[in-house]
Amino acid sequence: MSGAVSTPQTAPATADRAPSGVGARILRAQGLQIVFILAVIVVFFSALKPDAFLSVSNFRGIVVNTSILAVLGVGMTLVIVTGGIDLSVGSVLVFSGVVADKTMKALGGQGWGVAAVGLLVACACGLGWGVLNGVIIAKGKVPPLITTLGSLGMALGFSQIMTTGIDLRDVPDVLVNNIGFGNVFGQVPSLSVISLVVILLGYVVLHHTRFGLYTFAVGSNAEAGRRVGIGVDRHLIKVYALCGLLAGFAGMMNLSFFQSTTISGQSNTNLNVIAGVVIGGTSLFGGAGSIFGTVIGLLIPSTLQNGFVIIGVQSFWQQVVVGAVLIAAVFTDQRRRARSMAGATSRTHPLLRLRRGTPPQGEPR
Amino acid sequence: MTRHRYLAAGAAAMVLLTAACSSSNTASSSSSGGTKKNGPYKIAFVQGVAGDAFYITMQCAIQAEAKTVNATVNVQGPQKFDPTLQTPIVQSVVSTKPDALLIAPTDVSAMQQPIAQAQKAGIKVVLVDTTLKDPSVAVSAISSDNLGGGKAAFDAIKQLVPGGGKVLLVSVQPGISTTDDRAKGFQQAAAADSTFKDLGIQYDQDDPQKAAQIVSAALQKDPDIVGIFATNLFSAEGAATGIRQAGKQNQVKIVGFDAGPDQVKALKDGTVQALVAQQPGTIGKDGVDQAIASLKGDTVTANIKTEFTILTKDNIDSADGQAAVYKSSC
Amino acid sequence: MSVLLEAVGLSKAYGHVEALAGADFDVKAGEVVAVIGDNGAGKSTLVRILSGSEQADSGTVLFDGRPVTIANPQDARRLGIETVFQDLALAPHLDPVQNMYLGREVMRRGLLGTLGFMDVKSMRAGSRRAFDDLGATVTNLTGPVGSMSGGQRQGIAVARAAAWASKVIFLDEPTAALGVVQTRNVLDLIRRVSQNGIGVVFISHSMPHVMEVADRIQVMRRGRRVATFRASETTMEQLVGAMTGALAQDGAS
Repeated sequence: MSGAVSTPQTAPATADRAPSGVGARILRAQGLQIVFILAVIVVFFSALKPDAFLSVSNFRGIVVNTSILAVLGVGMTLVIVTGGIDLSVGSVLVFSGVVADKTMKALGGQGWGVAAVGLLVACACGLGWGVLNGVIIAKGKVPPLITTLGSLGMALGFSQIMTTGIDLRDVPDVLVNNIGFGNVFGQVPSLSVISLVVILLGYVVLHHTRFGLYTFAVGSNAEAGRRVGIGVDRHLIKVYALCGLLAGFAGMMNLSFFQSTTISGQSNTNLNVIAGVVIGGTSLFGGAGSIFGTVIGLLIPSTLQNGFVIIGVQSFWQQVVVGAVLIAAVFTDQRRRARSMAGATSRTHPLLRLRRGTPPQGEPR
Repeated sequence: MTRHRYLAAGAAAMVLLTAACSSSNTASSSSSGGTKKNGPYKIAFVQGVAGDAFYITMQCAIQAEAKTVNATVNVQGPQKFDPTLQTPIVQSVVSTKPDALLIAPTDVSAMQQPIAQAQKAGIKVVLVDTTLKDPSVAVSAISSDNLGGGKAAFDAIKQLVPGGGKVLLVSVQPGISTTDDRAKGFQQAAAADSTFKDLGIQYDQDDPQKAAQIVSAALQKDPDIVGIFATNLFSAEGAATGIRQAGKQNQVKIVGFDAGPDQVKALKDGTVQALVAQQPGTIGKDGVDQAIASLKGDTVTANIKTEFTILTKDNIDSADGQAAVYKSSC
Repeated sequence: MSVLLEAVGLSKAYGHVEALAGADFDVKAGEVVAVIGDNGAGKSTLVRILSGSEQADSGTVLFDGRPVTIANPQDARRLGIETVFQDLALAPHLDPVQNMYLGREVMRRGLLGTLGFMDVKSMRAGSRRAFDDLGATVTNLTGPVGSMSGGQRQGIAVARAAAWASKVIFLDEPTAALGVVQTRNVLDLIRRVSQNGIGVVFISHSMPHVMEVADRIQVMRRGRRVATFRASETTMEQLVGAMTGALAQDGAS
């Protein structure tokens, strides 16, 4: 054979690199940016109203108000990382709360036993809707946007049928007193502790387990996953199931906090969660995302609203600012992806893709 | 690596900043049940929903009265009449440590805890318009005599349709004390009158579009409805639209609760035949007075029921009529 | 040397398009076979069938002399056959290590492994070894593969196939969009892989590369194998002739 054999190059030692390069470079930069944005917001309001804004009880309030959204955010992050979306989370939250409420009322009693059954029922409902979503999306090949739009309507509709549109309020006292408004270690709200546990579990699963790796793989290149033997369809079902399960769990948290099924109060929850996830740096195109980013991304709107109320400005401004931040976040994400993925060609937006598993572009042709 | 460290440092800095600068607020700074003899007073007013002429009128009166008692007012309101939206606002408002909180709770039980926490923080709470399951957290509760108002609405329908017939109620959502009472007053009066048939209550979640749909559908089902009672502003708005869409302006008489600018126009146009106007301005003014009285340590009236005015095409242009109309801006 | 993988009389039709009409194929251990042919000759179809992505309508596939059914890519992998298609099947957001071990992750021992925790350290070491052995130029083991050049990506994909394959590797147009230096690297890679005793089969449109690196060249035309040449004994003209049908010859290798 003609031609010299080129000398193989060796790479520098990589033993102590930071873990998992799953778009990690992209993300760390984005993660830093949104922490910075949150810091700017905190500094801004602190400067204007230090005693009102910059206080432990105020931050407690912000954290408590974001706790339920954070639980939903964990599930949504996983779904969006696969390149999908789940619009049904708010309705599933309501549905799970309604069924749990009815069950607990039927059982009677105010104690932990009843509450435990309610929790199981709520999670089972959430899981059921999640599995339904997953099967329709993975096996039925119906785009996630449409599927979850449909299940959004169905879950909410069923909730309204079961309650004739009237909120149920049968929540055992133990739940309200200990979970909804209780504290652990004195000042730390139980609701937030529960939320934190879910967040930490979500972080470990997404960023350190094979399940999380496959989630990124499916979002990055589902076809490649299929070729190497990853059960892509099964994995998608699991991811949507998990998202639904967390929505059911959140339904129980919601019930404990509001003592009501809040049927009409969750119509914007799905979009609020998605906004938080996207602001936090998770790419709508799939393949990159972070739980930490989601948490910060959810804290930004909550902090903004809190700040605006405190400085006496109409909280309508919060919507304006959050909308702007959302666009800015996706814009920077696009720019960074374009710079990072050398040679990536434009892709059909995943929400508009008509078939799951469309082979990705971005390879040399 | 380096970026990781920046992240950790940034987070740590924020925590330290909070700890260092946080005022000792866990011990509530404002009077723990104590008094504040002189101003300036800080009042927070949390509406039931923003953009509603009823609450805007209340806001105008509160701001006017506040000026006379040396108080400033921070007005906030959720986008929808819903406790999930009102709760974060209440929590934020509590952080501003006002002397008094005037609030229209969006749910009798869901708002109990958040408002209780305001009271625990030493804030004087006055419930305006709607109330709570346990109103003892407030120093005073002020609202219209909604039961009486509902009955008056029925009387107005009876006057408009002396022959009797089918009547429908369009209300907001069970659990809202005011609209529940209005419906109750109306239904009690209707039950006592055999010439009228009560078709029951439909709920529109304070969405005029939904109210319009409900009325259109109801008219399809029962084309011979003679009267509709809409228990609040948005419901009345939507019901009037629904009737207009069905082309039944002359056939169906509507009595609405609340007299916002749109309803008054509808009254003048003839789409609505009577309006039961509350006195949100009086409620607001009384709310401020009770709050200040409580802060000063004077006697407080725990329960105030304000009155209403029945507006028809005949009296809308009189001085009293005009005074009863709600404002859409101060 | 024994024939590792052999196909006899494969036929495959898509609707009324006959992609393969009784095609034959064979590759020996340690041999580099190039499959060439004009567009529509059936090269890609042949590879897809032999790698398990599709099923032939009729015909036999023999592995080590025994008839086998390759019903899906997993069957192929179990036999020791790996394939690199034109799209490389790499996940652009994942790093080279994660791509290398995708679907075949090394789990931690014990409870942690069952919970889903992976042994990243050993996978990293294994990848490093695989890349070095094959001379694939991968400098950054933790960056996303999508940010690497086409040549590096090709290198990773081929190294992945080479690392896992124990018998045969199929490469579909491995040098199609690469520059001169990157092509050189890939061809060297192919050579090295075959030196490990693995049969390498690659489809190419580039005659010079084919002549340079292949031991044997199979020409396909209209869904069947029309000629087999030893690379050292043939010329470009002969190959082109066989491809276009100017020369019709089915002969011994």
